Amino acid sequence: MASGVTVDDNVLTIFNDMKVRKANVNEEEKSKRKKAVLFCLSDDKKHIIMEEGSEILQGDEGDPYLKFVKKLPPNDCRYALYDATYETKETKKEDLVFIFWAPENAPLKSKMIYASSKDAIKKKFTGIKHEWQVNGLEDIKDRKTLAEKLGGASVVTLEGKPLND
Amino acid sequence: MSGGVYGGDEVGALVFDIGSFSTRAGYAGEDCPKADFPTTIGVNAEEEGPADMGAEQEINSGRSYYIDTTALHVPRAGVELISPLKNGMIEDWNAFQAIIDHIYSKHIKSEPSLHPVLMSEAPWNSRAKREKLTELIFEHYNIPAFFLCKTAVLTAFANGRATGLVLDSGATHTTAIPVHDGYVLQQGIVKSPLAGDFITMQCRELFQEMNIDTVPPYMIASKEPVREGAPPLWTKKDKLPPVTKSWHTYMCNEVIQDFQASVLQVSDSPYDEQVAAQMPTVHYEMPSGYSTDYGAERLRIPEGLFDPSNVKGLSGNTMLGVGHVVTTSIGMCDIDIRPGLYGSVIVTGGNTLLQGFTERLNRELSQKAPPSMRLKLIACNSSIERRFSSWIGGSILASLGTFQQMWISKQEYDEGGKQSVERKCP
Repeated sequence: MASGVTVDDNVLTIFNDMKVRKANVNEEEKSKRKKAVLFCLSDDKKHIIMEEGSEILQGDEGDPYLKFVKKLPPNDCRYALYDATYETKETKKEDLVFIFWAPENAPLKSKMIYASSKDAIKKKFTGIKHEWQVNGLEDIKDRKTLAEKLGGASVVTLEGKPLND
Repeated sequence: MSGGVYGGDEVGALVFDIGSFSTRAGYAGEDCPKADFPTTIGVNAEEEGPADMGAEQEINSGRSYYIDTTALHVPRAGVELISPLKNGMIEDWNAFQAIIDHIYSKHIKSEPSLHPVLMSEAPWNSRAKREKLTELIFEHYNIPAFFLCKTAVLTAFANGRATGLVLDSGATHTTAIPVHDGYVLQQGIVKSPLAGDFITMQCRELFQEMNIDTVPPYMIASKEPVREGAPPLWTKKDKLPPVTKSWHTYMCNEVIQDFQASVLQVSDSPYDEQVAAQMPTVHYEMPSGYSTDYGAERLRIPEGLFDPSNVKGLSGNTMLGVGHVVTTSIGMCDIDIRPGLYGSVIVTGGNTLLQGFTERLNRELSQKAPPSMRLKLIACNSSIERRFSSWIGGSILASLGTFQQMWISKQEYDEGGKQSVERKCP
């Protein structure tokens, strides 16, 4: 069941940019790649669009995961794409994660619209492996939860940081 | 846009949510329903001249109906109480129509042909019934646009979840309904008859054991204060009409339901005689004036919801307690989605408002769930949201501008027939 909300074309462009990796890119181009981005509903509540100023780039300073968690609004819902870099015992990996953020404090109306429109945006993100419904900061602030999602117990580091600290 | 121009915002869509205990109806976009009245209605089966005050006559059959709290509570000879629902699905279509007619004439006070209607339905509703309802809505009421939505999906959405397990404990049954990405997983639905009505039945037996008469207020003309535990002193109203048994039972049940809500409490750990004996007692006065303190009973009666093995009058251990209903339901779903379901167990329905219900459920589930699962229980704190969650969800959905393309419009119905409900409202 769905709400009839549509997904802006721009959202799909961003998704494809994040999904497709070009070989032989120089450092500068690499640092401009998006690490994470938030999507919200347009003001008229008819389309899903990228939230202006919400993106985190690969080249940005600091721990991208912490920065991403800080970007999530405490009293409203969002969709997000996060390009996770992690290491298992064997290899280094990168995976896109689709996140549906709906904190308990968000207004009922907003929860209803975002939950009922999730299907629309998810359908556009073809080939996404990991989907994560997050309903509060306590679920997301610990990077272990995401690591579990990505590769169970085999994940050793996330964003270059060891999990056991 | 296939749905034409019937936008929720512009024309004021209506939302109907018919539960086994009460019916909710109102305009989409509002915070709470305009009308909330018992689903049980009175029907006068005998055809005897013009119906008296407050009756709503049905033209064809000559039956008269008594709907809504006020009309229902007047003692009348020969009025039987019935419910249009059976097992959460519409069974008595005449009674159902009477309720819809009542909503339009007394609460909405408008023409059915002016408002699109979003209705909730039981997640296990059958295809034949859905088509029949669609037909009735379009042919009889001439409604411009219609949508049917499963209660569990509305509840999950209203709690900000597209995936989760909805535990709905109402009057007639407790059900666990797995919802994944906004769709009900039919194979995982688990139902148990241990719910509000079951507790009412247990209380009734308790009163029989204690030799307490449940006297509904309609019989009482006057009463005098008596000491605690002393037999009540009350005089019966004279000239009471010969009421039917079903009506009298309903009135008695209302007395018991008040007792249920004020006195009972779910024990936070499995029932223990000694712990229960130390429970603080609660004083409760019946409408007849009889009053006494209740101690261990407060915990013993609701215990049957969670552990039916010791309940008298139930055959064997075939029934599932609330905790088992949840774990069984999740166990029947695909292993990949189980973590998502355990992570969002949404508690809803009037019966879950019993004191201590969610705490006990949390405890039971944390023992029964596999240790690797992260368990989370979601229960709104306000009783309004817990009782009306599916109505509120429907109200928001139907008021969305974008939702207008989702409706089954009159035109689509005319072209596609009643089968369009299966296509548009999965």
